[in-house]
Amino acid sequence: MKFINLLKKELSELINIQMILSLVLTMGIFMILGNVMKSSIDEAIDSTKNVTINISDRDQTDFTKAIEQALLDINDDPDENTSVKLKYFDTTGDDYAKILEDNDINNIVIIPEGFTKKVEADERPNIISVNRMESAATLSNISDGNSSAISLIRDCISSSIASEYNISEEKYDLLEYPVDVTDNTVIDDKSAEISSGSIMAKISIQNMILPIIVFVLIIFTSQMLMNAIANEKIDKTLETLLSAPVSRLAIIGSKMLAAAIIALINAAVFMFGFSFFVSDSTTEVTETAKTAVEGSISMDEAFRQLGISLSTGDYILVGLQLFFTILICLSASLILGALVDDPKKTQNMLMPIMMLAIVPYMISMLADINTLPTPVKLVVYAIPFTHTFTSIPNLMFGHTTLFIFGLIYQILFFIVCIFFALRIFMTDRIFTISLNFGQKNKYKKKKKGAAASDEE
Amino acid sequence: MGNVLEVKELSKQYTKVLAADKVSFEIGEGEIFALIGPNGAGKTTTIRMISTLLTPTSGDAVIAGHSVVNEPEKVRESITYLPDEAGAYKNMTGIKYLRFMAGLFFSDIDDINNSVERAKNICGLGDRLEDKIGSYSRGMIRKLLLSRAVMTKPKLAILDEPTSGLDVLNAIEIRKMIKKMAVEEGMSFLLSSHNMLEIEFVSDRVGIISKGHLMVTGTSAELKERYQAANLEEVFERVVKENEIH
Ligand SMILES: Nc1ncnc2c1ncn2[C@@H]1O[C@H](COP(=O)(O)OP(=O)(O)O)[C@@H](O)[C@H]1O
Ligand SMILES: [Mg+2]
Repeated sequence: MKFINLLKKELSELINIQMILSLVLTMGIFMILGNVMKSSIDEAIDSTKNVTINISDRDQTDFTKAIEQALLDINDDPDENTSVKLKYFDTTGDDYAKILEDNDINNIVIIPEGFTKKVEADERPNIISVNRMESAATLSNISDGNSSAISLIRDCISSSIASEYNISEEKYDLLEYPVDVTDNTVIDDKSAEISSGSIMAKISIQNMILPIIVFVLIIFTSQMLMNAIANEKIDKTLETLLSAPVSRLAIIGSKMLAAAIIALINAAVFMFGFSFFVSDSTTEVTETAKTAVEGSISMDEAFRQLGISLSTGDYILVGLQLFFTILICLSASLILGALVDDPKKTQNMLMPIMMLAIVPYMISMLADINTLPTPVKLVVYAIPFTHTFTSIPNLMFGHTTLFIFGLIYQILFFIVCIFFALRIFMTDRIFTISLNFGQKNKYKKKKKGAAASDEE
Repeated sequence: MGNVLEVKELSKQYTKVLAADKVSFEIGEGEIFALIGPNGAGKTTTIRMISTLLTPTSGDAVIAGHSVVNEPEKVRESITYLPDEAGAYKNMTGIKYLRFMAGLFFSDIDDINNSVERAKNICGLGDRLEDKIGSYSRGMIRKLLLSRAVMTKPKLAILDEPTSGLDVLNAIEIRKMIKKMAVEEGMSFLLSSHNMLEIEFVSDRVGIISKGHLMVTGTSAELKERYQAANLEEVFERVVKENEIH
């Protein structure tokens, strides 16, 4: 009864214009971030001007050699600002994962046997493109090395066919699509007949939405709880509350719960708004993905073959981690809120949490944390929120140990935070605690005042 | 008459300051007791210890038979506390605030309604209770908070500087409200003030505190006679001097 009374009050305190404004503001920030993201994706796609093509010619005819030579001729063409390097490999069989592994490469274009015969028989020939995916970091995979190679090969075939025959209407189609491409993606030791672009299209949607929601949750939860406590401290309503016959756990609990509820509502609203943006910026990729999927296997099947589909258990784990992330925010903001003794400093107190959220957020968007230099990696992993941002990719790419380590780290972090928070709120520290520099100023002033009135 | 509050050698040591040094006094039923002293004397510190917000470094205070050190939860059922310079939730209306606070003291809906009804009569804010507290003047907020502090009929209402920062008319009104509660309802009050002149009008007994020491207690008439002073300010001056000589 008393708890409901408290919870109702906390909720109605949180729902106000300020909250709505800050929601809109954060929305704006993410829209800008989203656009930045989009343009850097475009850039990544554009920047594939220096291509090294790993090639395995299993046909070994004059025609295929001519194609390879034509690829190299591009270097001499002043109109093209692309530079091409060819690396030749001898390969056999269709264990593409093993081929990449044995040759220590990440992608390869294979010209199968009988390629030339097909061209001569006026059939559409086939080449095989193999790509390895190492992580789901949005940008590190965005350009698969083979796609530019393949478009170059297409051009070459078109031109060699064109020079061999007189270009007629019937040849038009063949000229435009002179070759069928069978895409293969390799993850660890598994491979599936699907392009890595298609997989990225699907993963990147997940990869953009999850961090945003995590970020919103972290910031809103913390900001609200911190403000709730700081305002009560400043208005001295906290003293009134704590001198009333209600348990302090109920007071803290109602505040934490209210902040969590509102944050979840915010996250839901935000997810809704952001999904529009995501669908905007990924239509392009998704379109390509769709065409790629036609004729090859289904996306879900490919995810299963590659071992990157998430099971129900995985989702429960991710949920569990989100739960602890929120608990960390709540307990940390209890402490930070208790430290506020000046209304102007409330926003400053949010900075530590802001930084702890922004750093892993940005990094997880732009790079694979595991590929960072070790010292940097350790620092980033010491940030508890990092593990939330990397949870889905970690589970997806089978880094289970890393995930479990992250979860345990977060639980420990929470226990430490809540331990200190309770030590502050269950004792009189809530009224005596202060940051050192703040304390000096505050009590110097007070003492001066006291001395002055003593002299009177 | 029994004592509602007995303070026994209460001390508080902050990191650097000894803000209260073995403060002892008692308050009887229906009595208004005022701690007076300049800013920084240790009034708020003493009051917060009695309100169970600060843990005493040593000593104890017993309210309605319960110790602030050992049974703070029990103590909280017998007291209300009005902090100095306190505000209230600006987005709430006055009436909502009263309901919310009553809901912290009682679970029974009738008790809650009775308390709110009492507060409504005492505060004299009328229809303004339907407005948001953010739109209230300082005097109105103080009246709201004071009516909140007495609406639950606590054994002891603890008011830190209840009239500071108010204009004369509002201050007089607040003093009258306190006096009336004590006389008509037999409620006990612990007040503090750095204004030694006005406190004479409202309190039955006063305690003079300076630099954490409670130096003398007594009715203002007693003290004025003992120190042959015209008012409590002069009493304070002489008490401080006397203590410096020793
Ligand atoms: N939280 C605190 N931490 C450290 N020193 C404090 C704190 N609160 C008050 N003090 C110091 O204790 C002394 C008494 O303060 P206080 O009880 O607020 O006096 P008063 O209410 O009589 O003005 C002052 O010297 C003040 O600076
Ligand atoms: Mg004070």
